[in-house]
This record gives sequence, C-alpha cells and structure tokens, in this order.
Amino acid sequence: MSVPVGHYQYDQVDRDFLEARIAEFSEQVARRIDGSLSEDEFKPLRLMNGLYLQLHAYMLRIAIPYGTIDSKQMRMFAHIARRYDRDYGHFTTRQNIQFNWIKLEETPDILRDLASVDMHAIQTSGNCIRNVTSDEFAGAAADELVDPRIHAEILRQWSTLHPEFTFLPRKFKIAISGSPHDRVAARFHDIGILARPGDDGRTVFRIFVGGGLGRTPIIGQEIFDAVPEERLLATLEAIVRVYNAHGRRDNIYKARIKILVQALGIDAYREAVEAELAQMDLEHYRLTPEMVDAIQARFAVPELSAPDNAAQELASKRRENPEFDLWVRSNTHPHREAGHIIAVVSLKPAGGIPGDATSAQMDRLADLADEYSFGELRITHLQNIVLGHVRQDRLYALWSSLKEVDLASANIGLIGDIVACPGLDYCALANARSIPIAQKLGARFGDASLQAEIGALRINISGCINACGHHHAGHIGLLGVDKRGEEFFQITLGGRAENGASIGTILGPALPEDDTVDAIARLVDRYLGIRQKGETFLDTLDRLGDAPFKEAAYETV
Amino acid sequence: MKRPVRVGAGEKLVLTANRLLDGTIVWRDRLGQWQPVIGAAEKLDAEGVSDVLDLAQARAQADGVVGVYEVAVRDVDPPEPVTVRERIRAHGPTVHPEFAVETVQ
Repeated sequence: MSVPVGHYQYDQVDRDFLEARIAEFSEQVARRIDGSLSEDEFKPLRLMNGLYLQLHAYMLRIAIPYGTIDSKQMRMFAHIARRYDRDYGHFTTRQNIQFNWIKLEETPDILRDLASVDMHAIQTSGNCIRNVTSDEFAGAAADELVDPRIHAEILRQWSTLHPEFTFLPRKFKIAISGSPHDRVAARFHDIGILARPGDDGRTVFRIFVGGGLGRTPIIGQEIFDAVPEERLLATLEAIVRVYNAHGRRDNIYKARIKILVQALGIDAYREAVEAELAQMDLEHYRLTPEMVDAIQARFAVPELSAPDNAAQELASKRRENPEFDLWVRSNTHPHREAGHIIAVVSLKPAGGIPGDATSAQMDRLADLADEYSFGELRITHLQNIVLGHVRQDRLYALWSSLKEVDLASANIGLIGDIVACPGLDYCALANARSIPIAQKLGARFGDASLQAEIGALRINISGCINACGHHHAGHIGLLGVDKRGEEFFQITLGGRAENGASIGTILGPALPEDDTVDAIARLVDRYLGIRQKGETFLDTLDRLGDAPFKEAAYETV
Repeated sequence: MKRPVRVGAGEKLVLTANRLLDGTIVWRDRLGQWQPVIGAAEKLDAEGVSDVLDLAQARAQADGVVGVYEVAVRDVDPPEPVTVRERIRAHGPTVHPEFAVETVQ
C-alpha cells in the first residue's frame, strides 16, 4: 500500500487497536439495546466513540486528525452519507465531519467501514484531549516555517487513550501551527502551539495556555516561548497534569483550563508546571530526533513539478475570465513551490448551509483531489476544503470542474464565508437556529463582486453560548439566545482569531431573528459609506469604534 | 433536579422521547404507545402529568425509548409545541423541507 500524502500511514498495530475498539463498542451497543446497560451507563461509552443523541436522531462525529484526509477517506464519507445517513455530511469547526441521522444499531457497521480506511470517531467527544487541529495550509504555504502535521500526529498518538487524561475535568482542545500567521486560532485553545525552527535545526515551540471561547471567552497566554522538541511531550504532559489535578470538577461551567489559569495567574500556573516537570522522568518523555523522523517517514511528500510557464498560463486564464480571476483572488493562497498554488473550495454557496456537502460533492472532491492534488484534502476550521498542491497551469480546469458541482463560490475570507454551528435545527444544546440566518445572510451578500467590494469580513454564528460557531472570534459575531421561547440574536463586533486575537464586544440588545439580517445589512452599508481607501471592516472599526455601527444596526428598532 | 415545565393558559403537556434504536422523535399516545407524530400525543393537564411521566420513564427501556420528558403545547389539534425547540422536534429541521415530519397519521 502506498503511503498517503499529508497524513500518517497506519500500521497493523493501529488497525488491530481499532478492530478491538469496535468489537468492544459493538458489545456495548448490544448491551444497551437489550437493556443490560441503562442510558446513564451507556452515554459516556457512546460519547467516547463520537456518538451523540441530538434532537432528531443520533449524530456521529468522525475524527479528522489535523484536518487532513485522502481521497479514499473522502469517498468513505460519501458512502456513509448515502448508506447510513441522508446523503450529506457536515464539516465542523473542529475540522471533523458529523452525520446527523445515524441509527444506533448501525453504528458498529459504520465504525467498521471507517476503520477500513484507517478512520474512527475517538476523541471527538467526552472530557478527553480532543482531536488535534492544525493549519489547513500545512506543508504547502509559502509563509510556513515548519510543517506542523508531524508533531500534530505525535500529539495524536500521545493523547489517544492517554490513561491519565481520559477523564479530565472537561474537554481539552489543542491546536498547532507552523506559520507566523496563526491560521489555527492558537490563542483560543486550551493549548495553542506555534512551531518554528530552532537554532540547532530542530523545531521549538511557543506555547499558549488557557484560551477558549464558549461561555467565558478568554485569550490564551504564553506559558513558554521556546520549548525544545525533545521536551514537547513532557511539557504538555505537565501542563495537562496540573489542570487535571487542580481544575474544578464541581461546576461544569468553571471546569475548563482557562478558568484555572485565570484563577492562579499565568506565572503561578507556569511555576506549577515547572514543579511538575522537575519531578518527572524526563527521559521517559524525551522526544528524540529518531522518533520524530520515524513519524515523518510515515507521511509521503508530494513530488511537485510544474512546467516553467505554469504561472503565465494561470495569468493568461485570469485575464480571459473575470469570474475565474475573482475566484483566484479570494480562494487561493501562495504555495511554497514555484508553479503551484493552494486552492480553497468554499462550502458556502449563496443561501446554502455552511459546511454541508452532499455525497455527490464528496465523491467529486475526492476525484478532483486525485486529479489535481496528490489525492489529499484538508478540512478547515472555517468549514471549507483545501486542495493543497495544485499546479498553476491546471487551476482553471479545477475551477471549471468545481463549478459543475456548485463548489466554486468565490468568497473565502469574505462576508459569504460564514461559519455557523448546526444550531437548534439539530443540536440538543442550542437556543436558536444558526443555519437559517446564515443562509439569509449568504443569499443577501451572495454576489461575488459585492463580496469582493466589501472585502475581508468574517461572520461567525453560534446557536448558544457554547460558541461552536466561534462567534466571539468573528469580525461580526451572532449569538442566538432564547427569549421566552423565541429566537433573538446578539451582535458582537471586532473579534479575530489570528495574530492579535481579540474577543468581539457586544453591540447592544439582542434583536429578533427577523430583524437581524437587515441590521447586519445596515451595518455593512455604514461601513462601506465611512471606510477610508484600503480599509478593511476591522480597520474602520478600530479607527472609529463601534458607535457608527451601533447607530446603523439599531436605527429602526 | 429538572424544573417543572411551565404551562400557560390554553396550554397542555405531552410526553416525548427518542426511539432507542434510531433516535426518531416519538410522542406518547393515550394508550401508552410511542408514536412518531405529535398529532397522536395524549394531552395532559399539569396536575396529572407527574404520575404518567414517572410510569413512562420507568417503562422506557421496555418501550424502546430514551430521554422521556414533558413538553408544553397549545391545546389545539394537532398540538403545537410552545417553544421553537419543540416545534423543530415536532416538524423536523427548518432547513431541510424534504425532511419535514407529518404531524398527523
């Protein structure tokens, strides 16, 4: 079997483990169905296997480690959508995929199908270290310093079924990037890691701790600036141990590490971690260059080669076709290798459901990945798909194929690239529906030229305070709230997840669902009227504050 | 402890759950059977719901359902849930009309 590009190649040990795990869960499902296990007993077991019970059915969330899959795995998602669900899947803000119409009795079969392509649903739920996320442009971006996926895979292997960390006070999320441009929202994670080359050629890691969104949004603080590679696992182990020992278990809303870091202060937390490190057997945790190299050898490197005139070919096609040119402007990113480019496939068609893809679209994406990008696909935490290694002279052909399956929306990073959680249409925790308002906003601003004129503007929508739509980090954030059984939306402005992370501030009283889209439209109109040349929405907001936007949003209320 | 559902004027209560095997939303009829349409649900007064709820929860495993609880509805036929959440459960997700659930058999 050939080694896949972009993700780790399983061996027999990995496959034997998955087989045993599925056999165990199959038995648990059978015992639940025959009544040997009560729902209270079964719930933590199913959650450890990614199975939730939502509003309408069971929901299965499948892990996509560091967001990277191959075409065979994408085709398996299409198969699951067709065979076991309602012909579509939903890509999430944790780079995972979830299926919303799953039957309990069929879950073991689904897990067996997943295992046949080296996938599973472990670490997608429960109070454990969740699936590690990473940069969607990893190993491809021109601005990258270190491919973070090698260390992301090491973290996956370290954290999966970690005996100490299976029952943490709450869920625990880690993201890792290897670029100076934070594309993983590192400062909004329990642990955020920025990798860079050290003086000796080995990787060093800047580590943030105690960030998060949800009920209490907090920006993570730097705990260490330059952890050497050989100390990475020991350091992370110590950070999580301190949390496991001292994190609150008496109140679910105060159980995340961010609350503990705030309570202790970052200096005291660092001291506690250093004290833990001082008593650990560091040799046991030492990550040697040989270990890292062994993991790296399980990733195939794409053999990149493009004709000398690839860039000219692309430029020529852009001049010939303004629609294609618009798409290239918003939906591509510079590649590290001449003659290549990174293409981002938007899962946000105007009026569509953010992050949803049909089985036909998944199959087509798999075909296109094989044809244009070494069979590799990445799922972004902004609910889009990346083909990382496209030859520039073939980009037009890729775009033409994407248009045929309604996947060529030119809106990445623009107002139509809306991030939304499933909301009250599916989620048992939600207070309001996220998707309909995303659809209305997407349709209102669907025109590609209008979106280009508005420029960089990110809208994030969450259906409840748990903030799965990352509304705190949206340039415009919408939080659904329940007022006497009816849906209202609170608007926040000024959030950002990348370098210079900040939490959006509340603009004013929540608006009824019917008024919210018009309020956002007025707010955007005001921005277009008052911006100075070259200003983005955030630039204008930083210059003038939120007063003009508040006036616009509430002018008819 | 779960707070009792508030029942306003012109409102009743119905019992709902998810079917254990496939998660389908079901409603308890006057014979104690679980039906997939809210139109079949038995409407209960607030005073009488506690005993019926206890019985339904005790029989949940035998009946093949999970997560039994009460829902406030307007006293019309078919009953219409008071909250958006329960209306979505009764009618299906609002974003996929093709998945709409019938309210009467």
